[in-house]
Amino acid sequence: MTAILRNESGKLLHSSVLLTGMLALLSAFMFAAYPGFAEEAEFVEEAFPPVLIGLFGFEALHTIEGFVASYLFSLIWILFAGMFFAYVSAGLIVEDVRTRKMDLILSNPVSRESVVLQKVAALWVPLVVVNAGLLVVLLVGASVLGESLDPVDLGMVLLLSVPYLLVCVGIGIVLSVTVDRVETAQASALGLVFILWLVDGLSDMDPDFEWIGTFTPSRYFTPTDVLVHQEYAYGDAGILLAVFLVLLGLAVVIFARRDI
Amino acid sequence: MAPIEIEDLTKRYGDLAANDAVVFDVERGEIFGYLGPNGAGKTTTIRLLLGLIKPTAGTATVLGADIRDRRALTGVKTNIGYLPDTLGFEERLTGTQVLDHFARMRGDERRAELLDLFRPPLEKPVETYSSGNKRMLGIVQAFMHDPDLVIMDEPTSGLDPLKQDRLHQFLEAERDAGTTIFLSSHVLSEVQRVCDRVGIIRAGKLIALENIDDLLTQSGKNVWVHLEEPVENARFLTDDMIDVEVTGATIQFTYTGDVKTLLAHLVQFEIVDADIGDPQLDDIFKHYYGDEGETDATNEDATREDTTAEVE
Repeated sequence: MTAILRNESGKLLHSSVLLTGMLALLSAFMFAAYPGFAEEAEFVEEAFPPVLIGLFGFEALHTIEGFVASYLFSLIWILFAGMFFAYVSAGLIVEDVRTRKMDLILSNPVSRESVVLQKVAALWVPLVVVNAGLLVVLLVGASVLGESLDPVDLGMVLLLSVPYLLVCVGIGIVLSVTVDRVETAQASALGLVFILWLVDGLSDMDPDFEWIGTFTPSRYFTPTDVLVHQEYAYGDAGILLAVFLVLLGLAVVIFARRDI
Repeated sequence: MAPIEIEDLTKRYGDLAANDAVVFDVERGEIFGYLGPNGAGKTTTIRLLLGLIKPTAGTATVLGADIRDRRALTGVKTNIGYLPDTLGFEERLTGTQVLDHFARMRGDERRAELLDLFRPPLEKPVETYSSGNKRMLGIVQAFMHDPDLVIMDEPTSGLDPLKQDRLHQFLEAERDAGTTIFLSSHVLSEVQRVCDRVGIIRAGKLIALENIDDLLTQSGKNVWVHLEEPVENARFLTDDMIDVEVTGATIQFTYTGDVKTLLAHLVQFEIVDADIGDPQLDDIFKHYYGDEGETDATNEDATREDTTAEVE
């Protein structure tokens, strides 16, 4: 029974391509700034307020790996893509309930559990499109600048980003089955991912409050570790996956029991 | 076992009882009309039957599956067709794509045959559809998997009279072929035209459950008499005449007694013209609804209340 998965996948293609295009454009602008960054990396690191350095996790800005990992990935991936996935998944259920599409869907011999799982599974489309698109943009961008990025490391950082994005999906889907309004669910999901990103960055700066950051998903995905230090944190990815599964399970249980 | 068996079905939202201990069965191979004004609780019952909302108390079985048993209910949905009042289609898809989508979940062996009768513009996206076209697409998807039970919420809303007629004929043919049809409506003539039995719901409570024919018989005959010249009311009127309106030599009333007695009574007068017919369900409907909300009884209301007593 994959009719819903199929239908939802088709629906997500358009927005995925649009997002990839926008992120590619943004990456291009950022790449354009790289030569200047690299030359004056020390100066930039000094000139930036420590708050911002902490937020982005700037490291080794003078190398293309450091630049991509700490500037481009931090902003585009952890913040923008995270917010996009949370936003999209926050609309998955509540929108269909509000527009009464869910009435028709559930008049078919399909369980509510299956509806949630198929809808979330359809997010493979943006995951693949955005990842593939960005991989191309990064490789092309680096070669245009006369630099090169290790394709294996790049592949790894994209792969390890998936559990992080899935946690954002999990946040969205839980909101989607609990909140009654589409806008509220989506705005809450966006806001929550942004705040978690902010809390992670800010808590990093003060050792007394660093523990707070352990409750943020971005703490478990550090692009600089992969690109600059070639350290693959499988354990952290496992934690993120587990959190995603818990959130998904929670959403399924809530949706199966509620009135629509 | 009847396709739909409803036992004390209750759904409360806070203090408001959208359905209050509703009891009735829908028998195999009948068209059952669920009648009531907007907000009476018709859609609530339907959404309870489909498991979209959970009952506060009581229960129902649909094709043998208890609505509180989600797994069993999901299982029997292969044999249920549903036409909701608000049609939530995937608007960016074309009619064909919408039907393909539902066909993947429950089959479409009767699709071509239905599309001969009801013809939405299949190649266009649903977002460009008129409400009538959407309704037709809804009818096709509700019947295309040849279900045993079809639940329809306000099935003719948005359809022009010609298509309404086509739907009514189609429903009768389906009923004769053994399909059970449960339809809700606030359109009285529709229920009168097509339904075998009717349940009337008001403010969440089922207030009548009758065969259409019995309902019409019980509520007397509509009589219109034109006399040669005006006669004294006291001489003409009997206790069996209610809702009387006298305009000169023309008298209109509802007759609750035996028709033979009425005819015997009428021949005593010089009659130019007369007409005796079934009352519209509309009138009966008013009897059930008329006394609520208009408690400061006017003369008309007082008459209605008399009639309600007669009917009940």
